[in-house]
Amino acid sequence: MKAPKSKQESKSKEKEPQQHVVEEEDPVVSDSDDEDWSVEEGSEGSLSDSGLENSDFTDNKEDLTTSDDAVSLDDEDDDDDVGQDSQSESGESHQGVEESDSSEDEAAPRNTIGDVPLKWYEDEEHIGYDISGKKLKKKEKQDKLESFLERADLKNWRKIYDEYNDEEVEITPKEAKIIRRLLKGKAPHAEFDPHAPYVDWFAWDGAKHPMSNAPEPKRRFIESKWEHKKIVKLIRAIRNGYIKFDKPKEEPKVYNLWGDDQTEKAGGLAYIPAPKPQLPGHEESYNPSLEFIPTQEELDAYQLEFEEDRPKFIPKRFLSLRSVPAYEKAVKETFDRCLDLYLCPRARKKRINIDPESLKPKLPSRKDLRPYPSTCYLEYRGHKGPVMSISTDPSGQWIASGSSDGTVRIWEIDTGRCLKIWELDESVNFVAWNPSLELPILAVAVGADVYLLNAGLGREEQHKIEELLRVEKPEAPAPDESSKGAPTVIWTEDEKQKGIRLKHIKTVTSVEWHRKGDYFSSVMPSDILVIESRAISVHQLSKKFTQRIPFKLHGLPVSTAFHPSRSFFFISTKMTVRVYDLLKHELVKKLETGLRNVSSIAIHPGGDNVLVGSREGKLCWFDMDLSSQPYKILRCHKKDITSVAYHRTYPLFASCSDDGTAYVFHGMVYSDLNQNPLIVPLEILRGHHSSNGRGVMDCKFHPRQPWLFTAGADSVIKLFCH
Amino acid sequence: MPKHYRPAGKKKEGNAAKYMTRSQAIKYLQVSLSLFRKLCILKGVFPRVPKKKVKGNHHTYYHVKDIAFLKHEPLVEKFRDMRTYDRKVKKAESKKNRDLAERLLTRKPTYTLDRLIRERYPKFIDALRDLDDCLSMVHLFAALPAIEREKIEVKRVHNCRRLSHEWQAYISRCHKLRKVFISVKGIYYQAEVEGQKVTWLTPHALQQVLPDDVDYKVMLTFLEFYETLLAFVNFKIYNSINVKYPPILDPRLEALAADLYALSRYFDANSKAPMVSSQDAALSESNQVKDKNNDAELHESELRLAQLQHQLPSNEPGALMRLVEDAAGEDEDDEETKECKTLFKDMKFFLSREVPRESLLFVIPAFGGVVSWEGEGSPYKETDQGITYQIVDRPTQGHKFFTREYVQPQWVFDCINARIILPTEDYMVGRVPPPHLSPFVVYDPEDHVPEYAETIKRLQAAARQEVLPMPGVVGVEDLENPQNLLDEAIIDRTEAIEVAKRKEKLLKLQKQHLDELNKEVKGEQLAVESDASDKKPVDTGFIAADSEQAIKDAADITMVGVSRKKRELYKAMQIGNERKKAKTQLLKERKRLLDEAKKSNT
Repeated sequence: MKAPKSKQESKSKEKEPQQHVVEEEDPVVSDSDDEDWSVEEGSEGSLSDSGLENSDFTDNKEDLTTSDDAVSLDDEDDDDDVGQDSQSESGESHQGVEESDSSEDEAAPRNTIGDVPLKWYEDEEHIGYDISGKKLKKKEKQDKLESFLERADLKNWRKIYDEYNDEEVEITPKEAKIIRRLLKGKAPHAEFDPHAPYVDWFAWDGAKHPMSNAPEPKRRFIESKWEHKKIVKLIRAIRNGYIKFDKPKEEPKVYNLWGDDQTEKAGGLAYIPAPKPQLPGHEESYNPSLEFIPTQEELDAYQLEFEEDRPKFIPKRFLSLRSVPAYEKAVKETFDRCLDLYLCPRARKKRINIDPESLKPKLPSRKDLRPYPSTCYLEYRGHKGPVMSISTDPSGQWIASGSSDGTVRIWEIDTGRCLKIWELDESVNFVAWNPSLELPILAVAVGADVYLLNAGLGREEQHKIEELLRVEKPEAPAPDESSKGAPTVIWTEDEKQKGIRLKHIKTVTSVEWHRKGDYFSSVMPSDILVIESRAISVHQLSKKFTQRIPFKLHGLPVSTAFHPSRSFFFISTKMTVRVYDLLKHELVKKLETGLRNVSSIAIHPGGDNVLVGSREGKLCWFDMDLSSQPYKILRCHKKDITSVAYHRTYPLFASCSDDGTAYVFHGMVYSDLNQNPLIVPLEILRGHHSSNGRGVMDCKFHPRQPWLFTAGADSVIKLFCH
Repeated sequence: MPKHYRPAGKKKEGNAAKYMTRSQAIKYLQVSLSLFRKLCILKGVFPRVPKKKVKGNHHTYYHVKDIAFLKHEPLVEKFRDMRTYDRKVKKAESKKNRDLAERLLTRKPTYTLDRLIRERYPKFIDALRDLDDCLSMVHLFAALPAIEREKIEVKRVHNCRRLSHEWQAYISRCHKLRKVFISVKGIYYQAEVEGQKVTWLTPHALQQVLPDDVDYKVMLTFLEFYETLLAFVNFKIYNSINVKYPPILDPRLEALAADLYALSRYFDANSKAPMVSSQDAALSESNQVKDKNNDAELHESELRLAQLQHQLPSNEPGALMRLVEDAAGEDEDDEETKECKTLFKDMKFFLSREVPRESLLFVIPAFGGVVSWEGEGSPYKETDQGITYQIVDRPTQGHKFFTREYVQPQWVFDCINARIILPTEDYMVGRVPPPHLSPFVVYDPEDHVPEYAETIKRLQAAARQEVLPMPGVVGVEDLENPQNLLDEAIIDRTEAIEVAKRKEKLLKLQKQHLDELNKEVKGEQLAVESDASDKKPVDTGFIAADSEQAIKDAADITMVGVSRKKRELYKAMQIGNERKKAKTQLLKERKRLLDEAKKSNT
């Protein structure tokens, strides 16, 4: 820093970024400070911009920088000039900035050395030459001490040595001000506004003549070499088809799609067309008849309903077409239809648009199937309790009935006269006439006993019957039998009733005669029996002999039946019916009823068809030639079927149930094996009142006439005739 | 071993092999769910109901063959291409390569659906059979506002409008329209084209509400297919009457537009073409009047045509129509078409401002009437002396011409449905018109028939010059009555009511008599029975067990041997019948109450 600097150096310094100064506030202090001044140099650029004479001022600065030493030599003239200048400036301080500039322009630099470094004159006495070639003497150098003292004097702080012009310069207050502003980075003159609006003085348009009247050169129209190369490339690409051009966009063409209308088969699966939307009815009209509009009460009632139960569309009436508003659900409904079209599974369903009557089977007219019992003709009253069982005499003249009041009665069918009464102690479960005409014997199941009673009919046979109903004194039970256990049945003669009493160990529910009237079977359906085969025993009247059936029972026995012509024996358990051959001692057939609770069976007089009634109210008809499955299942009764019966000669059968009804059916069995039996429901017979949850307890056909007897829980027996 | 164990190497069988769930199908086709939906809509593939739902009850099942059908669809590949192309564009855009993006967008691959239509509807008649939904949808979108947010473009709305007008023009021109019904939801039209009944619904011409809970994407996919379908159907039907399709966009015609003579010669050259086009123009023109704001450009050519029509003499359209009708062979028209063609013959209509013009402009010419409207481009003005009916829908009519009748629009629709010219008294300005009845209802014998339907029936009979047996006891006035009807073809409403009442009474009497007879027959039977059983004291109360029970028994007993399925079906049908009966009963009850209220008021 001590060395005097040339102008170039100073200029190069101009480009240095401005440094920040802290202590420049106090000029007195900063006077002696080197760094301070060096900073000032940095702000030279802005100073020169402001329009002041550039070189001079820089020189001043340089002087300032080296003012401590005051060693450097410089031109006198310059020195003077600055002095003058400063003087004039101070003199004309009231004048504008420009004038000071002009005054500066007038003063020529005193230095004559030109643009050579001051270093060259460092060691010389002189500095430059005047016009006549004489050396210009340097100012006499001050003594160091002297100069220091001088500088120390506060009054002289403004004085600066100008090395270049070799003179002392005193800074005017105005210049100091400028310097201070420059240090702050402001414009040197306070009057200058750096942010004044820009005024564009040049008139751009309206120029009469172009700036250049030269014609457009050709090169502007011709591609450059590189451009040419690129174009050639593109051309080749187009020619070779690497580049394709856009065709004008075509609207989708409409043409005669079904022109030839050839029968082209649709691809994929068979198309199921969507069902068409329902066509609107009267209620959708904008002006429906008044009766289609719900009343206010109905509208309120809709509000109480669940949302899904409410009607989807509530009719509304508008008095004129112009008052009809836009339908707010139009878009929504169309959208729903769209969803239905593509989301709903479609399947072909047969439309059930048939008359419900057509579902009913085509049955032959009931008139053609006459005679059959249809109306109640007679009632037999006299029992005090529910009539549990009835049985008709094979001659068709008498009917026997057993009731839970403990009586067995015989009635004359035609008149309804009660012929005979037996008083038995317990409730009667079952009565059965001996099917042979010669033996008017009644088998009665009472509690755990079976009585064989003499009906007392017929003169000639009485003797024979009395013979038959006599039992020798019961011998002492054979020891071998006792070892096996008590016999199930003991035959004894009952004096009181003038008959035979068969003592069983359990309650007997049913007694069935063989067709010849010698054998009969009894059923004890008690589930405590250890040996199940004991539940059914077959008795022989003539020999007073009882034997157990030689078959194992599968389940609880319900009832039994003898085949009307062959040596077959039917045993029905709760689920199945088994047919055994009594001669061969083997199972012939097993009928799968599919029922859970069989209550009764009946055998067709032909012997090939079996009727099974169940407690579920179902009636199964088995054709044993056809299969072991039911040929037909009839669900007629709502409650338990208590009894089923075939007519001996007419193609009729009947069922009666606890719901108080009896059904009469036409059941024709053809001798032709290819023809299945014809079953036609004929009549529902009502009339019995239900008592204690029980309705009709038993039904039996008249042996010769198409008449039906029903025994009711209301202690009445009814005769239904055709 | 699990229950459904299938040994290795054994193929799936049965429902498991025949059906696949939707998610399986998507996986198999390697498409997204939305694309799958689109494919299903376009191809008309729908879910099926397998007998056994192997995957569970809550799945949708498609038939394997249906999915294979989709798999081989070239559109799938096309959609894939489009997807990759979209990606290309997106890439260019995200790289700020706008030039490339624009260039790519102009070359976006498109697809056509004509092949699909041919595939789905191998015969034209198949397409007609499935046209109901198509027409309703297109008509709905023709009335919707274009919404950018939902991608309902203006272009498509215009296309819908154009297609619907083309269809209507054909129906109107060929007199195919059969039934019209103004409902709260809109106006139902039923036409018969090639023996197929086509029914469609047009919304009322008002601002439509666009709900938010609707997936417009699905609807637009449907619309896309329907637009194409209807365009092809229109082409076919226009072709069948030898008219060029599309009807308007003929530059030659535009060039000729200046010269009236040249135009008429053009008309002569292909007699049918101009009629349809002018009608179509009229339709669209009316449309334009309604919403000028958005479709001015599109209908420019149509407007020109309409202007052209405006230059014609006032009765020119009518004359032209007659000319065309003469030219068109009447031999192929069936009886019904002839009847429809002549319903409004020699009648001139004029529509006031406030009536639904678009609908009436379509309907009246379809039944042979001539119609004009208030506004620009109308064939004739309100002051025309030839006008026989003016259709107004306002409380009062200021100036009235005595040569014409002023009726409410409902009159036109009722006339069409009844196929006779109804008396106009009830439809006069300011009156509450008689109820508007649906022409689609088919009455069962036990159904409730509205009173006005009876009246119309009688008027029809009178118009056919038949003597309908009048209800009530035969008397002098009744003998005279039909004669009156013949003379006037008008029946007073109160009279009609009376007549209906008398008829009802007679029916009631007849029924009573029948019942009595029945009872007598039964009573006799019962009497005979009691005679037979009087030997013993018999509970007569029981014997006389109500005959209802007997009837019920007779009904029950036949169902005894019937299978469970049929019995349940029978039961269900009975329930349905009961419900229907209850509905009828409700209507009758309401009617009775209304009548009573009316009587007490008077």
